[in-house]
Amino acid sequence: MPANSALFAQTLTQWTQGTWLATVPLWAWALVSALIIIYMLALPFGGIATYIERKIAADMQDRIGPNRVGPFGIFQFAADAIKMISKEDYVPPGGDRFLFNIAPVLVVVGSCAGFVALPLGQYLVAGDINIGILYIMAVTTLIAPGILLGSWASENKWSLLGGLRSAAQIVSYEIPVALSMLPVILISGSLQVGEIVKQQGWNPADPIHANAHFWNVFHNPFTVIAFFILFVGGLAETNRIPFDLPEAESELVSGFNTEFSGMRFGLYALGEFVDVFVMCALVTTLYLGGWQLPFLELDKFWITLPSGLIALIHVGFFMGKTLLLVFVVMWLRWTLPRLRVDQLMGLCWKGLVPISLFNIVGTAVWMWAFKGQSMIQVLGSLFSGGSASH
Amino acid sequence: MSNGMKLILLIAELVTVGSALIVAINPNILYSAVFLLFAFLGVAVMYLFAGADFLAGVQIVVYVGGVTILILFAIMLTQWLYRLKLKDIGSKFVIPGVVLALGLVPFLHRGLTELGKMIQATPPEKMAEFAASPKTQAIGKALLGTHVLPFEAITILLLGALVGAVWLARPRT
Repeated sequence: MPANSALFAQTLTQWTQGTWLATVPLWAWALVSALIIIYMLALPFGGIATYIERKIAADMQDRIGPNRVGPFGIFQFAADAIKMISKEDYVPPGGDRFLFNIAPVLVVVGSCAGFVALPLGQYLVAGDINIGILYIMAVTTLIAPGILLGSWASENKWSLLGGLRSAAQIVSYEIPVALSMLPVILISGSLQVGEIVKQQGWNPADPIHANAHFWNVFHNPFTVIAFFILFVGGLAETNRIPFDLPEAESELVSGFNTEFSGMRFGLYALGEFVDVFVMCALVTTLYLGGWQLPFLELDKFWITLPSGLIALIHVGFFMGKTLLLVFVVMWLRWTLPRLRVDQLMGLCWKGLVPISLFNIVGTAVWMWAFKGQSMIQVLGSLFSGGSASH
Repeated sequence: MSNGMKLILLIAELVTVGSALIVAINPNILYSAVFLLFAFLGVAVMYLFAGADFLAGVQIVVYVGGVTILILFAIMLTQWLYRLKLKDIGSKFVIPGVVLALGLVPFLHRGLTELGKMIQATPPEKMAEFAASPKTQAIGKALLGTHVLPFEAITILLLGALVGAVWLARPRT
């Protein structure tokens, strides 16, 4: 299908051909894309998210929020960054300097590396690797040792308690999160993010997409439940309220990052926000159709759009859905009280894990019974008198 | 393989072997656990170079995200454990350790020579094709097709371990 948006990828390769850019070795491209991911996606998002979160918090509590630095205080995050960089480099006496140094780095590496496999648009994915979903899961596991080691290296009992809570929480909630991804993998038969998103475009008028289904969240009743479990499990994995026990302010001072100051604390905060973004982007990719909007085939619009514009619109859809989920995460922060440790573990092992196991079996039975059709396709063939050709 | 790729592989190998050495000889058990993490990561990169992408992902999820975390967790929760030095254990594990290490040598030798013969027997273009082919589906079909019986046997073993862990951790009244 030589669609219009495929031209974008072609022009990108043609553009470099014959120029000195084609002679640049692969590792240099890899380095450049890594720097672009870190400096143009991860860091600005992390910085702006701190400002947005404070503004949302202020709105919900009927306050004004940051309003001094720049118009509406939007340069607050830059001021914060300058403050953090210029602070004293301090390692608590009795702490472990080596571990204290590498722990925040592990957190940032783990969360930023997830960006590589996120499909921002149809052809805008840094590496559409074969095991995309597994890759994102794998690199984000580096966050747990980062938090645990940082808490231990601080030589502080509040930190250590927070770190131990965090490790137990992340290891436990990884299980329902992974099990809630499996229904999607059953449906799409692929771990590749590009393929998973492509299968979620649905347009009955278009014969090419007749076999594709709508967003995975509406594929069958079980995926609706799995979507919510994935989101709740993701909240717990990123240590967000109502699962922010690792840094419970009222019990543990500030939890695992109590002893961290300056840019090391900044790296922890940044890592948390980037991790939230990656988690929300993953939910969008798996269940909310990624860059797809229903009935909207930009390649077959009534006017021919330039291919670069299509790529940009896809990025807009993807970012819109993801940022909506990020907003829900921030909204929950000012809505729900924190869980107790035993409630947290009970919710995971007695609630989410059995339900997600049930979802996998349910999705498998649905795929077998309805030959992989989605709810909407099944209903559609009912109303058309069972005369559906596929 | 280009020179850059060879360099990355070399770095991964050095990180793996170096970290494994530190795991073995560092007197601080917490550092051993931390460097075990880096050794696992290096092994995952080597899996990638061998074309085993799925295995590399699972290696990180299971060994870095699960096993290392549990080891760190156990060390931090047990106070006498992280004060433990290598010389406190004394020499009673030296002889069994050496015997075990020497006993492994014939197996490793056999396996590596067989592997070397296999690699020499395969033409290089076929090797490259195999390395680039996706493995996830093949692994899934093998686990639930030809090897379904051992797979199910392992799941029963794991279920037994799970029940045993719950039984050990039950509240004693």
